[in-house]
Amino acid sequence: MPSEQDKSTEQKAAESEVKSFQKDLGPFVVAAETTRMAMVFTDAKEPNHPLIFANDSFLSLAGYSREETLGQNFDFLLGRPADLEALVQVESAFADDSEKDFEICFRRKDGSKFWAATFISPVRDKAGDVVQHFVSFVDLSKHIQREEHLRFLLAELNHRTQNTLATIQAIAVQTLRGAANKEVVDAFEGRILALSKAHSLLGSKHWEAVGLHEIIDRILQPFVLDGSQAARFSIKGDDVRLEPKAALTLAMVFHELATNAAKYGALSNDAAGKIDITWQVEPTPQGDRMRLRWQESGGPPVTPPSRKGFGSRLIEGGLARDLDGEVRLDYDPAGLVCQIAMPVPRPAVG
Amino acid sequence: MLVAWLLEDMLVDLGCMVIGPAASVNQALAIIEANAIDVAVLDVNLNGEMSYPIADALAACGVPFVFVTGYDKDRMLSGYQAFPMLQKPFHRAELSATLARLLTPKAPTVEPAPAGGR
Repeated sequence: MPSEQDKSTEQKAAESEVKSFQKDLGPFVVAAETTRMAMVFTDAKEPNHPLIFANDSFLSLAGYSREETLGQNFDFLLGRPADLEALVQVESAFADDSEKDFEICFRRKDGSKFWAATFISPVRDKAGDVVQHFVSFVDLSKHIQREEHLRFLLAELNHRTQNTLATIQAIAVQTLRGAANKEVVDAFEGRILALSKAHSLLGSKHWEAVGLHEIIDRILQPFVLDGSQAARFSIKGDDVRLEPKAALTLAMVFHELATNAAKYGALSNDAAGKIDITWQVEPTPQGDRMRLRWQESGGPPVTPPSRKGFGSRLIEGGLARDLDGEVRLDYDPAGLVCQIAMPVPRPAVG
Repeated sequence: MLVAWLLEDMLVDLGCMVIGPAASVNQALAIIEANAIDVAVLDVNLNGEMSYPIADALAACGVPFVFVTGYDKDRMLSGYQAFPMLQKPFHRAELSATLARLLTPKAPTVEPAPAGGR
């Protein structure tokens, strides 16, 4: 820490310049002194940008006294050893002619760290030369704590949701054991599982968008237990990101279609039947629209069901209403065809 | 607890005799010591404890096992990523297919007499 004797003449001159300015007690001076925004001024004429002014808010944020601060090079605030990336950002901000802002980590007197949004701006004299730099700091600690807490809560919520879905499955199997026929229990279990798998996938993506490919792969897992079964599926389409609601609904739909195929359709016979899943995305004035086609072939002859079951109600009703989409189920004798058209988000750029 | 029953019931339905479940590494190691096991189902995370030591013990005895996890493969320790893995939640058919593969490695004519546990 530089004592009064150690300080160079230039440093003393710069500090006394600030002091005389402060004596005026003009409104700008009062503002700088009393504002809650932490700020410092550094001398641009000295090689390492020593501090020539530090307001009370800054001193309280960094934990130093004014004597410990003035005359110190700016990068002493980064601690030792200083993070290389932070040093580079600071150096380039001082060297630049314009304002710069960025987030870096500083070290307090007691050794603790804090992240601050840092704003560095050149101060020019009448001739237009840069004589000082103004640096302000916005403490991001609370911000970061809140973010971490939210992330923790999200992980916890994901975990709880998975557990709840697994518990529902367990309750159903326990309760219905012996009381309902195996087919019914299997159907229920399969549907809960599809929902559960979709939840698990979304949870792993922190409930942001998930890829259509991933949903299809996950949902078809129980239907492609070995290589030969996997070969019966052909899945082709561009990468499409789905929002959680769309992902969950489509997951249920694919489960219904696959279950139906396994019971009556292209997966119900020995290796002869195939399922082609293809889709394209087309831009429209209202946004991107996806057209998907689930086409079965090589299965036993198809006859339309005499009654609309849960599956077809979900497929034709749920999707259309929930997602502002269109769905057509065609019981073509050669193989069931399901066509889906729905809006999808524009892919993020970059 | 209910969820552990579900797995037990699945295994029983598949014709297994279940030894366990073990709720901790120590309990599992004790079971392995005291019993002849044909195959094991291992949750990667046992209430905060990682089950890698159980995997090591099973591998040392030559007992095949499958990891069960809620996470992606790459969240597992790299040394263990090559072992069979079932991602939660899984269908009983997926469990069945995996166990069948583990119990009939080379000779498909051998009838497995499965007795499995965690």
